[in-house]
Amino acid sequence: MQFELVILLSMLIVFAAGVFWLKLPAGVAMAAASVVGALVGGQGIPIRHLVEGTFGYLDAVLIIATAMIFMKIVEATGALGTISYGMIKSLYRFPTLLMILVAFFVMFPGMLTGLSSACILTTGALVAPALVGMGIPAVSVGAFIAVMAVFGMIAPPINIPVMIIGGGVDMPYVGFEKPLIFLTFPLAIVTALYVRVRFIRKIDVNDILDKLPKSVYAKHGMKLFLPLFVVIGLMVGIRVAPDFVPDIGIPLIFMIGAVIGIWTGERVEVISVVRNAIRESLPVLGILVGVGMFVQIMTLTGVRGYLAVSALQLPAALLYLGIAVIMPAMGSAYAASSVIGVPLVFVFLGRNEIVVTSALSLIAGIGDLMPPPSLLCVFAAQLLGIKNHFTVLKAAIVPILVALIFGIVTIIYAADIGSMLK
Amino acid sequence: MQRHHYSAVVLLSVGLIVSGIASADFLSMYKADALHPSASLTKSGMLSDYVPALKGTNGDTRVYYYESGNPGATILLLGGTHPNESAGFIAATVLVENAHVAKGRLIVVPQACASGFTVTDPLEGCPTHFTVAAQSGPRTFRFGARGGNPLHQWPDPLVYRHFPSGQQLSGMESRNLNRSYPGRENGSFMEKVGYAFVQMIKKEKVDIAFDLHEAAPEVMIINAIITHEKGSDIGASAVLNLEFEDLKYSLEISPKNFHGLSHREWGDSTDVVPFLMETSNPIQGRMRGITNEKLILEGQDPFYRIAAQLGTVRITYELDGEPLSLRVARHLQGFRRVVEAYNEAHPEKTAIVENVPEYLSVVKQGVGNFLR
Repeated sequence: MQFELVILLSMLIVFAAGVFWLKLPAGVAMAAASVVGALVGGQGIPIRHLVEGTFGYLDAVLIIATAMIFMKIVEATGALGTISYGMIKSLYRFPTLLMILVAFFVMFPGMLTGLSSACILTTGALVAPALVGMGIPAVSVGAFIAVMAVFGMIAPPINIPVMIIGGGVDMPYVGFEKPLIFLTFPLAIVTALYVRVRFIRKIDVNDILDKLPKSVYAKHGMKLFLPLFVVIGLMVGIRVAPDFVPDIGIPLIFMIGAVIGIWTGERVEVISVVRNAIRESLPVLGILVGVGMFVQIMTLTGVRGYLAVSALQLPAALLYLGIAVIMPAMGSAYAASSVIGVPLVFVFLGRNEIVVTSALSLIAGIGDLMPPPSLLCVFAAQLLGIKNHFTVLKAAIVPILVALIFGIVTIIYAADIGSMLK
Repeated sequence: MQRHHYSAVVLLSVGLIVSGIASADFLSMYKADALHPSASLTKSGMLSDYVPALKGTNGDTRVYYYESGNPGATILLLGGTHPNESAGFIAATVLVENAHVAKGRLIVVPQACASGFTVTDPLEGCPTHFTVAAQSGPRTFRFGARGGNPLHQWPDPLVYRHFPSGQQLSGMESRNLNRSYPGRENGSFMEKVGYAFVQMIKKEKVDIAFDLHEAAPEVMIINAIITHEKGSDIGASAVLNLEFEDLKYSLEISPKNFHGLSHREWGDSTDVVPFLMETSNPIQGRMRGITNEKLILEGQDPFYRIAAQLGTVRITYELDGEPLSLRVARHLQGFRRVVEAYNEAHPEKTAIVENVPEYLSVVKQGVGNFLR
């Protein structure tokens, strides 16, 4: 057995034992697995590497912490409940249209920021109560939002996995709009229709509205939505008018929105709300810190290279299957894009590289749903109060498989699709 | 105190100890590498001489001037644009420690992105230093990050918009010196560094400029010379002469729609003829195995050996490895041949740089023999 595989297995066993047997938080189990991986790999306890790895996702940690504070404040003001209430009341007669609109609404922040987590933490949180109120099981709502978050991250105008792959192959981020729309919009519509057909039956609007928080719009007016307008306005402004709106960073945008929110609706117990937000996000932040350590040790010990070269060693017949399995198995869209996405563009040279890269970014994007971090499933589970985030992943299996098949087919016919989209 | 208070004290103490140990490692990267210029050095200065706003910042870096006193062309050579591409930095250091200029001028900046030498990239598992057996004994050099230190420019935007083209790149590229040209005086930290180099080229009236790089073995432009369209004839002549020595180089013309890079922006915004050279460096590759100092020095990687033999992807990797000496030797030989080709094309204004170690000497004797 290849020694790198032994290292990887030792890390996975320690992680699994930590989570399932010792009931450790996932982040702590990952840290333990990283230490064991380094020891097995003959690196001793490389403190500098372990600490450096924790900084790998620092930006994401800050975004999540501040986004959680923002969302909890907006929830406390009554704005979240009011939006859900209004959405159901105005569109309950057209559930198919409602689901398609909700799908694009959830995707919107990801399209603008390139961040999948932004979809769950902002628009996902807005629609979740309404979807649950319409009778969709909470795990399926979580799965729907998590999958839309992936599509939002991949849809244009901003697709960071494509930029990462492009950076590795010196390909400018030009001409990706049509292939990315081709890859994401149909999938989003199909997934919305799937959820609509499978779960939404006869809608008793009064029953649903009774379950939702009451609208406080009459009391506070449009002022209630000011923090949302500010956050979305700043995110959009940075993209469409960069000469006038400085890029102050997503964490600061969320903090500005949170501070404004304190005075725009129902009374907010700021200290208590912020403390709850941080307490609830700590497990996720811990996972990100642990994943950073895990990836750093995988790289240090050669496990990452082993996975990458293993993908290339697959026989041609299994190559597509390998891509569909190994890329998502990296557990992160960014890691999959960088480690496997770049070499794969070279494998498929001669087809339409823009279409191939777009499709690879979609397959890599599924990685954000997958363990070990299962980041989007963890967020969605947290949002909906689901204890076991793997149930969210399980509920998302059908759209995930459809997306993977669509991505692979797009790679196979990249040249034809490229001509068609011209 | 309650039980959880004791737990908190223990965990905080462990955290402090771990942070202290890691901090010592991180801070060691702020200690400058000692370079020993040759006797031909005329003067040394700083990049901030061209943009005073950089003075005292982590973007400032040492500039070495070799002036013959005989009129001729001015050559600029940058190493360490990407501090994790050690062959560029070491090749520039070899020039600093050996070069003698008989005609024209030579300006060398071995650590162009000084900020990037103070940090390594998270998740990459790279060493902080490597040691070369030099003439005077072991010499340790820093191995840095691809971009600048985030402590010097943070946070990264989600999307980096290149100035002035507006081209969009992933946010981390905002700290990449070779995406920051032509830069701007009041821009970000890295844009100021890029701007300073463009000002240097203009003020010193540089005729021919080199930017030494390395890349992962799976990247297409390996063992390549990349130039602006105005350097295509010189590049073609140099590549042909290198072929006669059994040294394979591909000549690439800088894409017009890929902005921020030295071979594009130096050529567009100044009179200089720019050349960027790449060698194959396994430690930058995504398929590499164990990541350590040995890989920087010996360049032998079992996974790249497999990948190169597979043929699934074009891999530029010698089966015996890509040692640092070989990579430095390629840069030095490429530099020599491009300058010769430039001299042939511009007989009215030539430059002659002597004491540049020969390719075979560096490969056979090891690069350490050309470091003091």
